[in-house]
Amino acid sequence: MSELTFEDVTVRYGSGRREMTAVDRVHLTVPSGAVVGLVGESGSGKSTLARAAVGLTPVAGGRILLDGRPLPRGGRRPLQMVFQDPYSSLDPRMTIGSSIAEAIPRGAVPGAAARRDEVARLLDLVDLPADRAGCHPAELSGGQRQRVALARALAGRPDVVIADEITSALDVSIQGTVLNLVRDLHRELRLSMLFITHDLAVVRYVSDYIAVMYLGRIVEYGPAESVLADPRHPYTGELLAAARRGGPQAADTVPASVADAEPADPHHPPTGCRFHPRCPVGPLVHPDRTVCRDTAPTGDGRPHRAACHFVSSAADPAAA
Amino acid sequence: MTSRARWAGVLRTPVGAAAAVLLGAVLLLAVLAPLLWGGRADEVDTAHILAPASAEHWAGTDNLGRDIFFRVLVATRTSVRLALLATAVGVAVGLLLGTLPLLLGPRLGRLVTAAVNIAVAFPGLLLALSFAVIFGAGASGAVPAIGLAIAPAFARLTQTLAASVAGRDFVAAARIAGVGRVRVLLRHVLPNIAEPLLVNATMAAGGSLLAFAGLSFLGLGVQAPDYDWGRLLGEGLNGIYLNPAAALVPGVAVVLAGLAFNLVGEAAAKAVGPRTATAGGRKRATDDARPTPTPTPTPTTAVPVRPQQSAQADALLIVEDLKVSFGPVTPVRGVGFTLGRGEAVGIVGESGSGKSLTALAVAQLIERPGRIEARRLELLGDDLLRTPPRARPRLLGTSLAMVFQDPMTSFNPVQRVGRQLAEVAEQHLGHRRGPALARAVDRLRAVRIPGAARRARQFPHEFSGGMRQRAMIGMGLMGEPKLIIADEPTTALDVTVQRQVLALLADVRAADDVAVLLISHDLGVVEQVCDRVLVMYAGRIVEDLPVARLRDGARHPYTRALLGAVPDLATDRDQPLVVIPGRPADPAAPTPGCAFAPRCPLADDHCKRADPALIEDGSGGRVACWHAEQRPEPAPAAATEGEGR
Repeated sequence: MSELTFEDVTVRYGSGRREMTAVDRVHLTVPSGAVVGLVGESGSGKSTLARAAVGLTPVAGGRILLDGRPLPRGGRRPLQMVFQDPYSSLDPRMTIGSSIAEAIPRGAVPGAAARRDEVARLLDLVDLPADRAGCHPAELSGGQRQRVALARALAGRPDVVIADEITSALDVSIQGTVLNLVRDLHRELRLSMLFITHDLAVVRYVSDYIAVMYLGRIVEYGPAESVLADPRHPYTGELLAAARRGGPQAADTVPASVADAEPADPHHPPTGCRFHPRCPVGPLVHPDRTVCRDTAPTGDGRPHRAACHFVSSAADPAAA
Repeated sequence: MTSRARWAGVLRTPVGAAAAVLLGAVLLLAVLAPLLWGGRADEVDTAHILAPASAEHWAGTDNLGRDIFFRVLVATRTSVRLALLATAVGVAVGLLLGTLPLLLGPRLGRLVTAAVNIAVAFPGLLLALSFAVIFGAGASGAVPAIGLAIAPAFARLTQTLAASVAGRDFVAAARIAGVGRVRVLLRHVLPNIAEPLLVNATMAAGGSLLAFAGLSFLGLGVQAPDYDWGRLLGEGLNGIYLNPAAALVPGVAVVLAGLAFNLVGEAAAKAVGPRTATAGGRKRATDDARPTPTPTPTPTTAVPVRPQQSAQADALLIVEDLKVSFGPVTPVRGVGFTLGRGEAVGIVGESGSGKSLTALAVAQLIERPGRIEARRLELLGDDLLRTPPRARPRLLGTSLAMVFQDPMTSFNPVQRVGRQLAEVAEQHLGHRRGPALARAVDRLRAVRIPGAARRARQFPHEFSGGMRQRAMIGMGLMGEPKLIIADEPTTALDVTVQRQVLALLADVRAADDVAVLLISHDLGVVEQVCDRVLVMYAGRIVEDLPVARLRDGARHPYTRALLGAVPDLATDRDQPLVVIPGRPADPAAPTPGCAFAPRCPLADDHCKRADPALIEDGSGGRVACWHAEQRPEPAPAAATEGEGR
């Protein structure tokens, strides 16, 4: 297994006046054999980061490294991706067997019979009977399709698997199956994985490390328990409060001006710290904290880092 | 429906059958006519030059005394062959140009696209004429001329279709897997766009038949001694006053053959059309079978509430034995519940459980062909089922507000938000324009939209998702609703925004004593807002219990499984999640017993035979399960195989 590193990666869409920086100088490491959960709301750039990693979106700046070396162009792809919507990620005209077989690197398994065996092995890996290889996607349920998509990703013998919201299009009763499978596969194969979702509870269940993304920047990164037990960035605290299910919300503790603040427009990101217009410990509540408006905070190099000027005080409201 | 069944279905329609017969006849004639009548068509009879139509020569003879009728029959082969040839050239060039952008990548592809766009702007026949002049008169010149004239339109169609398929995730997946561009094109793109292309090629064949006849008629197409319909038409036209049949017969032949191709194309388009639009159609978890777009009922308070003397005096909404059916399928099968004033009740369930349809039925928003039946369906003591349809909008408008999942589609995109809210007051409260707008601003302020007066002048697209949803709730508050039905109001929103909208719903409810019926697939959302939860499965309520008892007092195995299937922040990370084996129930294939039995760990033979009724459990809840008393040991998580096997 390998370590995937994003070094100062920037991705832009559009040009001229409509240009938008979807991912802004992101540093992120997926350690070898670990699952890194990447959370953030829609528009935070998490899917763009994934697409950049697998080469579907060009990178405008920075480097993406695998074990310290740039990703190879062409040939075997060491990164594979599983998509959100299992209804569009499988070719409706192809049997699932040939969809999976297509992803097996050429030359890795010579001979038609060996390829068939390999497909059967992969299907077995994702708990599907081998005789399903002849089915078309239309004959499968959403959960089964998502497992086929996982099998296809594994067929490429990837060093790192990127899973982009793979449970959010599924019914609740089926999400569990897919999450269990992800955990089992991770245990069995020691896969390195970048697991993208908007649901902190899901991320908590599968991840070793958690990275929180807001408007194109990573605002917090650290070991899963540490981030969840002691969120340093106020945005993480907010996500956690939203994810805490059951019982009425403790939203009252947050001033109304903060609670009703609008999510920022990614085309016109705020200056300085991008979270400052919604931040419960920022200039909205503490008018003297102008530094948030002027200077973008950087995370320091510690294992659990948060990009916030007032890290220590940020933990207080979340703990209260 | 398989594609074979669909084609068979098309053949059974009058147009489909006529088209198939006609085209079959034309093709048969093209093959057989020269063999059978080739001799007679070329037989020179100097004794009967330019004879009019007669019993012997049905369409008369030409200037060498040859029988025109037989010449028309024999010319079928040449005409059809050349038309098909030209179409083949056009389709081949079009396909090549259309798929080049995919093969060349974005930068060069844009050039090709631009070139095609320019070519499309030229009228086809004009292109064909100028090409025919360039290539020289004669069939060998006319074929590429017409082919090239067809090509741009075909290229454009191919480009559009290919681009839409190329944007789908499975193509991205193939590219990530290292599949080359040519292989992606051949294996993934072409098979998925083949059907509409074939349909269009058929139509193009009809068009090129006409175009060829035109060129030959002008003398640019087939040259003597060969002949096709266009030539025969041209020759016949010279003597049209002496022998009209000589021009009419080839003309009719052109029309019939052209019709044959076009009708077949039309019929095929019908067979292909619906599916290409939704090929591999997206299906979202929250996308319950919902009828056509539904209008939003607008709430007001024109009709005062009539006090009702009954046992359920404080019941706001009474639903008994509600059924919603679409033809033979009944997705809601006997739902009953009551909703008290100011009470918040959540309905949870998976897609297809009938939760959204139940809400829409209460709001009388089920449209044809859907049918609502119920023993009782009363809102504020008024019987919704027996209210004449004309009075319904007023009745519902008085007391009901509705909030949908996607606030973008619930607003009119070309009208300012404030205006849309004000309209409610004008329509139902009889307010004039000024006061109505003032109230709209006031209501926007009530749902905590910052800068309400400025925002009221903006269009829906200038609002963020969460803000639109708040404005939607604000629209519901233009009157004084007694009930807000919210159908997955936060599913399309981010978690932090979701919290704001739910808090707002709770505030509105507390401030005005409004009852809330909240539809969601997310138990967490329901827990935040509601007092009571109705759990639906396969069109029935399987459990009804207070929210406080949900976590540890749920008695139906489905409710318990739902709770365990979704991780929360307290889930044990070392244990696998609970999994509900099997597939969600299919409303089209109901089982005689309990609908959950095939997926239930407690099910026995009795469950498979008899459907349990929803029974009061004596402590404020209801449950429909034969084994409600039984508590299984913490669900064996190994039961994960079901779905796959």
